[in-house]
Amino acid sequence: MSNLQKELYRAAVLTFEELGLFLPSPELDDTQRQAAAEGTVIVPFGGPFSGHLVVTVCGDVLGGLAANMLGEDEVTEPEQRSDALGEIGNVICGNILPRIAGTRELFNLRPPRVMLGGTPGTGTDTGHPAVTAQVGLDTGRADLALFLDGDAAARLEENPR
Amino acid sequence: MALNVLVVDDSAVMRKMIIRTLRLSGLPLGDVFEAGNGQEGLDKLSQNWVDLALVDINMPVMNGEEMIDRVRQNPETADLSVIVVSTDSSETRIDMLQKKGAGFVHKPFTPEGLRETISQMTGVAQDEQSPEGTLPGSGPDF
Repeated sequence: MSNLQKELYRAAVLTFEELGLFLPSPELDDTQRQAAAEGTVIVPFGGPFSGHLVVTVCGDVLGGLAANMLGEDEVTEPEQRSDALGEIGNVICGNILPRIAGTRELFNLRPPRVMLGGTPGTGTDTGHPAVTAQVGLDTGRADLALFLDGDAAARLEENPR
Repeated sequence: MALNVLVVDDSAVMRKMIIRTLRLSGLPLGDVFEAGNGQEGLDKLSQNWVDLALVDINMPVMNGEEMIDRVRQNPETADLSVIVVSTDSSETRIDMLQKKGAGFVHKPFTPEGLRETISQMTGVAQDEQSPEGTLPGSGPDF
């Protein structure tokens, strides 16, 4: 596992644990592995380098995620599920950037774009991600892909913070 | 003293999480107002008496930094207690916010962290008993 991949995984675990009250797992079982996409969030960012983070949640995860975040038993409204996923993407992105670029660097995150339903996973996004990670969540999983513009990925791997 | 609080965040879910945490924190709460961006936040401030504003940074229409600048420029709100609640934990950004007289709480936040920063910024301590019967500080991280 590369340094970038470790940091992406750690930022995701921290966020799903503390914001979503899940117990993320590094290993996936068959049910988690075969779960279909439930929603995707894309968070573009700019700063010393630019790019975007894509988080796709698979399986029956979003309802529980939104409910945990809101302290409710159940959340069925698509708007709240979408908003919850958007905030998860926003927090993961905000946490990964200082981990890989250093805490003095300034980044600006743009509003998350959320698509619910069987949306494309990270593999069909334009270009190739600099790093990907997977996190097991209850009966589903989250697929994460960090896209970095230019040669940022190579520079960060050569000079880890 | 009951605190009138304004929560400014473009995520309705995050606003609800913050308000829920405030209600569980044991701090004496008065009216709670919500806004989805900095401009809406300024509008709420012009219409209501607010003791404390909890403000996100990255928002559409008007971001949190510009909102804080406008708050400090207005004599009626210049002394308002402001706490930024953001995923952005850049030391450079935190230094800039501190120069604007704002506190900082990092997302994901803990109820204890939010409560302590509010107490430091406002001088208001928590009630002896939490209003909903939950021990302050015993809740989950957010």
